Amino acid sequence: MAIDLGFWTLQALNALQLSMLLFLLSIGLTVIFGLMHFVNLAHGALYALGAYFAAWLAAYGGFWLAFLLAPVAVAGVGVLLYSGLIKRMRKSGPMAQVLVTFGLIFALLDLTRIFWGDLPQVLDAPAMLDGRLAFFGIEYPTYRVFIIVLGLVVLAALAFVLGRTQIGAMIRAGVDNDAMAACLGINVEKLFFVVFCVGCALAGLAGAVAAPLLSVTPEMGLQILIPTLIVIVIGGLGSLKGAIAGSLIYGVVQTFGAVLAPQLASVLIYALLAAVLVIKPTGLFPAKG
Amino acid sequence: MFRHTALRYAALGLLASAAVFQAFTADYFGLEILTEILILAMLVLALDMVAGFGGMVSLGHGALMGVGAYGYALLSTMGGLAPPVAMVGAVLVSGAAAWVIGAICARSHGIYFIMATLAFGQMAYSYVFEAPIFGGDDGLGGIVRPDLGAVGMDLNDSRTFVLFCLAALALVYAAAVVILQSGLGRSMTGVMHNEQRMRALGLTVWRVKADVFGLSGMIAGLSGVLAAQHILYISPGLLSWTVSGEALVVVILGGLGTLVGPLVGAAAFVVLKHEISALTTYWHLVVGVILIAVVMSRANGIFGWIEARSAQWGARRSADPLHISQTEEARSDA
Amino acid sequence: MKRTILAALGLATGIAMPAAAADDIKVGLLLPFSGVYAALGNEIEAGFTLGLDHFGAETEATFSVVSQDTEVKPPVALGKAKKLILQDKVDVMAGIVSSGVLGAVRDMVHGAGVPLIVANAGNDAATGMDCSPFITRMSFSNGQVNRPMGTWMQAQGINKVYTLAPDYAAGRQMIDGFVETFTAAGGEIVGQEFTPFQKTQDFGPYLAQAKASGADAVYVFYAGGEAISFVKQYDSFGLKADLPLYGAGFLTSPLYVNAEGPAAEGVITALHYVPTIDSPANAEFVAAFVAKTGRVPSEFAVHGYDAARALVEASKTGANDRATLAAALRGVSFDGPRGQMSIDPATNNVVQPIYVYETVAGDTGLTQRVLAQLPAEADPVNGCAMPAISN
Repeated sequence: MAIDLGFWTLQALNALQLSMLLFLLSIGLTVIFGLMHFVNLAHGALYALGAYFAAWLAAYGGFWLAFLLAPVAVAGVGVLLYSGLIKRMRKSGPMAQVLVTFGLIFALLDLTRIFWGDLPQVLDAPAMLDGRLAFFGIEYPTYRVFIIVLGLVVLAALAFVLGRTQIGAMIRAGVDNDAMAACLGINVEKLFFVVFCVGCALAGLAGAVAAPLLSVTPEMGLQILIPTLIVIVIGGLGSLKGAIAGSLIYGVVQTFGAVLAPQLASVLIYALLAAVLVIKPTGLFPAKG
Repeated sequence: MFRHTALRYAALGLLASAAVFQAFTADYFGLEILTEILILAMLVLALDMVAGFGGMVSLGHGALMGVGAYGYALLSTMGGLAPPVAMVGAVLVSGAAAWVIGAICARSHGIYFIMATLAFGQMAYSYVFEAPIFGGDDGLGGIVRPDLGAVGMDLNDSRTFVLFCLAALALVYAAAVVILQSGLGRSMTGVMHNEQRMRALGLTVWRVKADVFGLSGMIAGLSGVLAAQHILYISPGLLSWTVSGEALVVVILGGLGTLVGPLVGAAAFVVLKHEISALTTYWHLVVGVILIAVVMSRANGIFGWIEARSAQWGARRSADPLHISQTEEARSDA
Repeated sequence: MKRTILAALGLATGIAMPAAAADDIKVGLLLPFSGVYAALGNEIEAGFTLGLDHFGAETEATFSVVSQDTEVKPPVALGKAKKLILQDKVDVMAGIVSSGVLGAVRDMVHGAGVPLIVANAGNDAATGMDCSPFITRMSFSNGQVNRPMGTWMQAQGINKVYTLAPDYAAGRQMIDGFVETFTAAGGEIVGQEFTPFQKTQDFGPYLAQAKASGADAVYVFYAGGEAISFVKQYDSFGLKADLPLYGAGFLTSPLYVNAEGPAAEGVITALHYVPTIDSPANAEFVAAFVAKTGRVPSEFAVHGYDAARALVEASKTGANDRATLAAALRGVSFDGPRGQMSIDPATNNVVQPIYVYETVAGDTGLTQRVLAQLPAEADPVNGCAMPAISN
């Protein structure tokens, strides 16, 4: 087998691409947890909704319209979920909230089947992202480069918002100690609402950009849920740094595991998760608080 | 700590007599459903023991059930052991696996504990799915039921098998009550409420957690053995995290930390699922909406709701303090 | 010998009883209507209903159908099979999409002596080691679809192949079938990988390996959602030009090919049915199916259609209960959309031609161009010692 530097560059890009997709998903989930202390198990279902919305919108206005509007539509679903369910569950403890979102997985799964049927939906990458880019002596699909760049842009934007703006400071204060933040006059409820919707929009965005790469099926939400949970648990719940680290670790382990130890590929990531939890029971970069 | 109240005794009596009545009168499909309920009831009993009384919400109990099922299948077919010996062996194996998982995860709490058990469960699932010795994705057949001909019972008759499962469930329930009321069970509940205090009292916290988790794993394993004997065929799907998730839903639906509630939940869940799936293939939607409604109602599941209502009624009648404290406890357990 | 006597007896009793005219044959359909294979279940059911509508008038028996959702979960499927057999008292069952489900119901069906027409599951063992006189397969076996392709590809001058498939029994059997004949014909397998089943969404790592392997072509088996992801990603890496993609025809099934889009163009695969087979029987079937569903039928639809037809053919011999239907189903042969097909009495597996086809752009989306029709071959017996029908 002619394995050379180009091969490893290619695999590194594959790892990075997977990491960025997972980052888009896990960042929303982890910030919601950090603020509201519950794990939104329906996050994967929202990702699937994003893909379905995108496929549906693209049929009318092409990829870019879908790319822009699908996250907005999913954020809209987030608004409904927050005001209809999550807000009323604020005082019932984290377990109840987790279970509500578990029920949502079931409900949303069948709702997508009712609206769009069991057959996979189509979303093609736009023509300008359809080819391949040549660099470092290799050729790599443009669309995958687009995902990597998008992930980095979102990462930079979030780092800026969280680190440099007032709302970011409020969110960080809320993550560290929401009771104290409320005492300082921050409208924590409103903050929760905004963060929840942004998290949903990011899940929708991830679904929309994943759709041309994968197949849009009712089960895609369940399939992505476990990897996303693994990412945020390895990284440490509620931590931005953790979501980045977790995504990168997952992408690298999954990609290079498939190349170097294919027999172990599917067990490897779970073994890593177990190992992390044994050594650091709250993940690699636990959020303070 | 677990206490039997008059209401709980009454519910148990009602459930048991309904089950016995069904076992003797139901037609073939009714017996199938009853067996399914009994096996699921055993699994959720095991889960309620650790989740409701120890705060250890596990997403790995489906896998432990699977370990029991595969253990029994391998020991009795390839291992050549007599079925009763294989049953004991399989229960011990799943108990040991659960003990190790419990010991490793003892330091994790809340969502981390859930994820850690999920990781171990999925590891087992992936391994079984791909290992040729376990039949891989296609599963394993050729499983036999124990021969109780010596005591005049033919377990291949489905009515007899239902009674066999019912007897096993009754024994397991009694065992669970004994465990929860023992020093070990009380220590675990103490750990759930205040781990630091229990540690300060000189308790080896991880041992307590691992021991109860191991015992719970044995029960889950036994439910797996019965599942294997029931369908006479096993497949990796038994170990999947969705089985654990469903079990958790049943525990919540019934009433976490009430031990009786999950039994009610199991019966309700299986019947509901069969009724709805006969009407529509979108039964996930209905179950999902019901789950959301139950949780939103803020009651501690079906049985928790009944307990709360009856306590209110009782309080109005006689202001009996015992009943009130009972429901408050059930609430705080949740 | 005893088998033929029994079959003859079944036939004889059928003829001896003209009352069979009023016979109602109760059919249990065991298909997934929810879960990952729900689309397949619906497609097979549509084909089955169409088949009964078309051919039902040819026999004097009438059919009543009960459908049950297996959810692709073996324990659930087994429970439903028991319900059909013991409560609904069906005379015959049809369906079964996944091999796991087939494995689960096999002993039950065999023990109860209820004939089962398999309408999809391709597990080699079901008509090999675990064969049963009550289980007749009208769909395909995993090896059957892939074996002819090994010889054919070698004959096209392809010498080095890299294979990929999901890591489960069907994936391995499909690839093994291909590898067996390909290497026998002198070809070389330069690399092989099995990807975690239903857990692999990103095939990038494997595609990079295939590219680096120095193969002339890649041969794969993927189905459903995985097939869509795979074909799209294969194309996006630009591998199609230098490293042509071949595979088992499920890869570009008409059910999924439109979701794959232009990425599927030029992929060459082998299957027992494509909707563009040029025959009157197929033209009639395709027209009727399109009229009914608005979609071109897939191989899954034809499984259902032919299963219904086989049932009608069996009942035409006078068979009307479990034992006689089981015996009659084994002797069924007809010229259908797939061409001339029959049941191999040694294994109860279908014997049918295999079509090599290329997915090409047509007037209304993607279509299939048949490149070769490879002759029907009966599967090797594979350890099947067919027991006699004994009730």
